[in-house]
Amino acid sequence: MDHLPNVSNQRNSQSQTQISHLALDIGGSLIKLVYFCRYDDSCRDDDDELRSQNDSLYSKSDNGQPVLDGRIHFAKFETSKISDCLEFLSSLKLCLGGFHDCSAPLSDKIFIKATGGGAYKFADLFKEKLGFSLDKEDEMECLVAGANFLLKAVHQEAFTYLDGQKEFVQIDTNDLYPYLLVNIGSGVSMIKVDEDGKFERVSGTSLGGGTFWGLGRLLTKCRNFDELLELSHHGNNRVIDMLVGDIYGGTDYAKIGLSSTTIASSFGKAISDNKELEEYEPEDISRSLLRMISNNIGQISYLNALRFGLKRIFFAGFFIRGHAYTMDTISVAVNFWSKGEAKAMFLRHEGFLGALGAFMSYEKQCLDGLTVNTTQQKFPISLSSAGDKIYCSLSSNSDENGSIEHSVHGT
Amino acid sequence: MAGLSGDPNLGVGDKIERLQYNNNSSNVAVDKEGLEGIGEESNSNNKNNQGGEKDMAGNSIHRSGSRPQLDLSKAEIQGNSEERHPAILLPNQSDDISHLALDIGGSLIKLVYFSRHEDQAVEDKRKKTVKERLGILNGNRRSYPVLGGRLHFVKFETSKLNECLDFISSKQLHCGRIDSHHWNSEAPANENAVIKATGGGAYKFADLFKERLGVSIEKEDEMDCLVAGANFLLKAIRHEAFTHMEGRKEFVQIDHNDMFPYLLVNVGSGISIIKVDGDGKFQRVSGTNVGGGTYWGLGRLLTKCNSFDELLELSQRGDNSTIDMLVGDIYGGMDYSKIGLSASTIASSFGKAISDKKELEDYRPEDISLSLLRMISYNIGQISYLNALQFGLKRIFFGGFFIRGHAYTMDTISFAVQFWSKGEAQAMFLRHEGFLGALGAFMSYQKHGLDDLLVHHLVERFPMGAPYTGGRIHGPPLGDLNEKISWMEKFVQKGTEITAPVPMAPPGTTGLGGFEVPSSKGATLRSDASALNVGVLHLVPTLEVFPLLTNPKMYEPNTIDLSDHKELEYWFTVLSEHLPDLVDKAVASEGGTDDAKRRGDAFARAFSAHLARLMEEPAAYGKLGLANLLELREECLREFQFHDAYRSIKQRENEASLAVLPDLLLELDHMDEEARLLTLIEGVLAANIFDWGSRACVDLYHKGTIIEIYRMSRNKMQRPWRVDDFDLFKERMLGSDGKKPEPHKRVLLFVDNSGADVVLGMLPLAREFLRRGTEVVLVANSLPALNDVTAMELPDIVAEAAKYTAL
Repeated sequence: MDHLPNVSNQRNSQSQTQISHLALDIGGSLIKLVYFCRYDDSCRDDDDELRSQNDSLYSKSDNGQPVLDGRIHFAKFETSKISDCLEFLSSLKLCLGGFHDCSAPLSDKIFIKATGGGAYKFADLFKEKLGFSLDKEDEMECLVAGANFLLKAVHQEAFTYLDGQKEFVQIDTNDLYPYLLVNIGSGVSMIKVDEDGKFERVSGTSLGGGTFWGLGRLLTKCRNFDELLELSHHGNNRVIDMLVGDIYGGTDYAKIGLSSTTIASSFGKAISDNKELEEYEPEDISRSLLRMISNNIGQISYLNALRFGLKRIFFAGFFIRGHAYTMDTISVAVNFWSKGEAKAMFLRHEGFLGALGAFMSYEKQCLDGLTVNTTQQKFPISLSSAGDKIYCSLSSNSDENGSIEHSVHGT
Repeated sequence: MAGLSGDPNLGVGDKIERLQYNNNSSNVAVDKEGLEGIGEESNSNNKNNQGGEKDMAGNSIHRSGSRPQLDLSKAEIQGNSEERHPAILLPNQSDDISHLALDIGGSLIKLVYFSRHEDQAVEDKRKKTVKERLGILNGNRRSYPVLGGRLHFVKFETSKLNECLDFISSKQLHCGRIDSHHWNSEAPANENAVIKATGGGAYKFADLFKERLGVSIEKEDEMDCLVAGANFLLKAIRHEAFTHMEGRKEFVQIDHNDMFPYLLVNVGSGISIIKVDGDGKFQRVSGTNVGGGTYWGLGRLLTKCNSFDELLELSQRGDNSTIDMLVGDIYGGMDYSKIGLSASTIASSFGKAISDKKELEDYRPEDISLSLLRMISYNIGQISYLNALQFGLKRIFFGGFFIRGHAYTMDTISFAVQFWSKGEAQAMFLRHEGFLGALGAFMSYQKHGLDDLLVHHLVERFPMGAPYTGGRIHGPPLGDLNEKISWMEKFVQKGTEITAPVPMAPPGTTGLGGFEVPSSKGATLRSDASALNVGVLHLVPTLEVFPLLTNPKMYEPNTIDLSDHKELEYWFTVLSEHLPDLVDKAVASEGGTDDAKRRGDAFARAFSAHLARLMEEPAAYGKLGLANLLELREECLREFQFHDAYRSIKQRENEASLAVLPDLLLELDHMDEEARLLTLIEGVLAANIFDWGSRACVDLYHKGTIIEIYRMSRNKMQRPWRVDDFDLFKERMLGSDGKKPEPHKRVLLFVDNSGADVVLGMLPLAREFLRRGTEVVLVANSLPALNDVTAMELPDIVAEAAKYTAL
């Protein structure tokens, strides 16, 4: 079983970990971190399995360039808890500004690549607290760069998910474009990607992860996103959604292909039930909310794909979280509206596109560093997972340090 | 409005309409719809079975216009509907238009029903005599049996189905036919009665209808109905569609030959998106479950609002930036200009609720409502646009009860369509937005009689209670929707409290709106109260476009468009100042009784309220022109049963004018042909200043006799006039180079006011034509506006005038 480095596993040794090339994606709800950690002794000691199998997100050069063994780590924080993130960063032994001189002290001239709105909003804060400047990268560019990188470089990155069946899709890198990239963060961006660096944000919607979480919090008193998501597992949306069958007295509206279980109106039953909010199960509310938003995203995405004749739609962003039901709903929506023509695909590193893209942008300036490159040949990194379940969690409670969060497991 | 260039308030079409309406109604003077029969019966419980046409006519006169009084309907609830006036079976069974259709949706039940035109029963006898005298043929001008009448629109909450059932049963709407009144009451009218219904509830509640009302529901496909309803409205109603951008409402004239294809988005509890290619040709291409039910459902849970309207009302005072995550929130107040997102763009609806430490209770319900409304409206606009794009459709019509004429909703949808289409596609709204399905179901009756409707045969008159679709929602949140909807219930609850039984309208016109007591609602008519629930379309089946119009399509009866606010203000002032005088006259015309005074006061209140509403929202009742405004006044007068407020004045003036007519004719006869022709035309123009709508004229009346004023103003008619075709006219009449032209075969003279206008202006001109061997047809309105001479009065006047002249 192959693992991505699990930052939290290295908790005890993190002070020894040498970090270089940190990139941030500071969104409306979450801060995503991507950083490169060189293999050094402490690392090796920490995780034998990884080293021996040599298959984590790890790079080396095979053409005589300086070899850099290391791993790319992923971490995230809630934007509202940005101080945790700052603390985490300052606790890391950052060797920024090049790999050859990682003992050099931090200087004012150090730039960290960052994207997302927070790169603007919190620039001063980073300067003040950590003493480095944020080098702002365009959000869409980063998303696209990150997605392209993942799709090209990482084996079994993309997969479909329908009826509980997860199936990896082998993307022919020569036949990757064009595709529609749907990044579901707090809000949703839909980007038509034509080739490397050539893309257009064609649409978006404000009904995104932030809506699920925000509305969900107001409706259920859940404390965090994952709890809310977890609730939806056990919920039954029929309690609160108005179904076609509710309107038609249990029968289908077959003529236009609506079965009696089709949702006619999300939350529509709340109109006439004469029930108060407290009388609904939080599970049901969460389920209904999740379906509403997933379905809507799936539909708008499909309509945009259709508009440009795109057959492939990749969904990413932290809203998805590898959550089976979310992916299923999105897939069903795309499948339904496209009559099977278009396919919804998901990315294993769904939440880190922007941060990865920002990370990629280092290349422009320090090509002598990490040879993470645009050509696959030079980049024999594999991030494989034979498991059938991608699982991740965002829970500050699960981490005793309160600062380090899980990245992605393959099980 | 005594413009020298012609009277602006009465377009040609207007007159034609009234004339023909008159013809029509004189043919159907006796029968009445069942509803009114009931009202009648309850009024006169004791003389139920006296029977006979005579009795009915007498009754009608008593009730002046077969309008049930408030207290009359009380007995209806007791449901002794078995007792009726003896039936008169119409020989022509094709008149049996079924007249009720339902659309039972997830949240609301929409009702459309048809009621026969109320006859001007008070004039029945006069009509008859006139008819005899003039030898008007009884023959219907049309080969198909279309009846004039009204389409009514009412809605109920689906959860309060019982109210709806009560309503139907109280009005006997389920008893089948439009002429049910004439059916033999011994045969239960509803034995095999079938009601057309659509929407899911047509399936769900079919048994209940059978059980409660004994009627079978005949189910019509929902999409079929929506499309049929939309097509009908777009074709038949003049100002049905409008755009709404940034608070501005603009009516769109749809070219019926270029109507298809379009995208129809019906926003009910859920949303259906339908591509319409033609009549009966359509495809449901998409839909979304995020619709009106979502807004209301989520809104209820989040705000504890009790009704949709309350929730909508809250949103008016909301600020969504407290709860939505804006681009600026993410970007630290900056735009993300590179992809065209301004700082105020919503990045994530309800996104701020994530990070804040605030609980639900810490958010203002107003903000929540607005955020929800924006989220859903915008989403609807976006998905609709994407579908329109897919099929290359430029026009998107939004219907459904979610919209409710709510400005913000429409603006948001419009904005989304505009934004995503970069101005390519246009969002349009329908004034009868909520009733598409019900209307469609109504249309699905094999013989609804509306098939052959040509454009503009349905006209929208001013609903006297208030229109059901208000542009804006005012006032405090409404209480129970119940209260607004159920006229029955209202009646029962408040029946005893109402001391002045002044109906603001017959229930047939506005349903419950008719029973609002104006004073209890403050100065302004509540657009939202009854308004949201009911509406009326008047069917004027014989209205046709005047064939001699140069350009019938472009013809606009309104010579003055009141969309200019200054113009509107001017006329508002004119009408307001004139109101007390009008009330006096109206009351006097009805004999100055206490009842007349009470009605006069009620009229003044209602009309002022309408004016106030129009000042605030000029497009509240559709596109507003001066003719509409004046028609509103007349309609309003009629609603309060003043059928001819100026009757006595008109008589007086006619007499005075007739008295001086011989002198005038003598004077004319002494002129040479050319001078006479000019004087005649000047006379026509001069006499038209005798218009009680004009303050200047009213002042004049105090300064001299009619003939003096007439002569004086005739002398002021210096050419050139504002519209001056006299030279052409003269040449046509007298010829040039000594050649005598052929006389006209026939001349139509459209007459306007009573008194000097018709007697001293038009009649001498008519005489001139007659002398030349030309046939003269005088065309007058069938219903009066102020001191208009009506078709009914003309024969008497002409007969009287004939005494003074050889011709």
